Amino acid sequence: MLAQPETMVGIEGLNKWFGALHVLNGIDLDVASGARVVVCGPSGSGKSTLIRCINGLESYQEGTLRLAGTTLGLNARETAAARRQTGMVFQSFNLFPHLTVLSNCTLALRRVAGRSRSEAEDIAMAHLERVRIPEKARSYPGQLSGGQQQRVAIARALCLNPRIMLFDEPTSALDPEMIKEVLDVMVALARDGMTMVCVTHEMGFAREVADQVVFMDGGRILDRAPACDFFGASGHPRSRLFLETILKH
Amino acid sequence: MGFDLAFAASSLPTILGAIGTTLTVALVSCIGAAAIGFLFEMVRRAGGIAGLTVGFVIDFIRSTPVLAWLYFLYFVLPFYGVRLGSMTVGVMGLSLYYSGYLAEVFKAGIDAIPKGQPEAARALSLRRRDAVIYVIVPQMLRNIAAPLGNYFVSILKATPYLAVLAVPEMLGRAFDIASETYRYAEPLSVAAFIFLALALVISQGVKQLERWLLARG
Repeated sequence: MLAQPETMVGIEGLNKWFGALHVLNGIDLDVASGARVVVCGPSGSGKSTLIRCINGLESYQEGTLRLAGTTLGLNARETAAARRQTGMVFQSFNLFPHLTVLSNCTLALRRVAGRSRSEAEDIAMAHLERVRIPEKARSYPGQLSGGQQQRVAIARALCLNPRIMLFDEPTSALDPEMIKEVLDVMVALARDGMTMVCVTHEMGFAREVADQVVFMDGGRILDRAPACDFFGASGHPRSRLFLETILKH
Repeated sequence: MGFDLAFAASSLPTILGAIGTTLTVALVSCIGAAAIGFLFEMVRRAGGIAGLTVGFVIDFIRSTPVLAWLYFLYFVLPFYGVRLGSMTVGVMGLSLYYSGYLAEVFKAGIDAIPKGQPEAARALSLRRRDAVIYVIVPQMLRNIAAPLGNYFVSILKATPYLAVLAVPEMLGRAFDIASETYRYAEPLSVAAFIFLALALVISQGVKQLERWLLARG
């Protein structure tokens, strides 16, 4: 008999307000180790806030959020330790513009993981090869295309050897011809067994790699289903409408 | 009484003799003002009571004349048992006074950094101190190279205030010559031209530095 997969992220009754705005409203979500969850929904639905809560970039007011066994927000040191299990990729890449691609990748290895320069560079180069961009190691982010920058951002996040990768609309800021190179890297990552939570509207990607698709609107999870069902006829009317809208393009 | 070039030339060695004092005061004050100003801005940014207090101190410093600070440090502190040399008081006064302005410059430079940068640093688990040193400060410097250079020139040009404390800097020396000879135009012009030359060197240096900072990335 197979062992039950470990729960990487366990969210129960999560509530968050920005002032009067109830941005997360009673969210329950479990992400098992090795699972790949795609979160979609219209803008303002709370999906980015949700993913930013998972690594503690955002705090929450009610409910519990456990990450790799640690309840976030109780203790600053434990929260920080749990965050080290995560890697995050942002919509706007957020590479450090004053550092080379290689230094972007080695900074946390050296300052957080305490690696030597040569160790850090070896690890960083391995991840840059993994995202197929080792030849740009000495370039600055401003010299790269958006797709290249996002692949570097993925490599940078992988350097600390995270157990879960969080993607916050990783292709939304990209020109159409660059989306594929980033999605290819993400698909490869999924094939390697990485636990992933992706906020994305790339339904082709969701169909290809997601175990579960979650549809959010107005701070609630309205629909959740295995990818095959989500794209089938059985979904929630609101998510069907959303799908029809975005799949028309 | 025309402008006597020969007399101007004869006053040059004495005035240039004070260039070391002027440059030392200016350099140490720049470093001091930058260090205190950065500390002020970090505390203000952290908020809380300390942040509010420092915010008030910055406004207070910027709203008072620099001479008031120099007189205060030089003539009032000794009543409380603090006796400092005139050079030390001068450097302290200029450092404190300009720290208020530089704190504002640093604030603008940090505010201009996109929110995603500190977020990326947090997501990578960088400690706050490391994020400041490796992520925030380098980008801040890129943003503020020009205004920072302007303030360094301002500090250089403020060194003659130290004449009131009898610090032998360049303009004071020039004025001494003028008082002794009753010829004002030549020594004062010589001093002014040396300041001009120094200011040009600093602003050119800052321009080069800015170009170098921006060329990367």
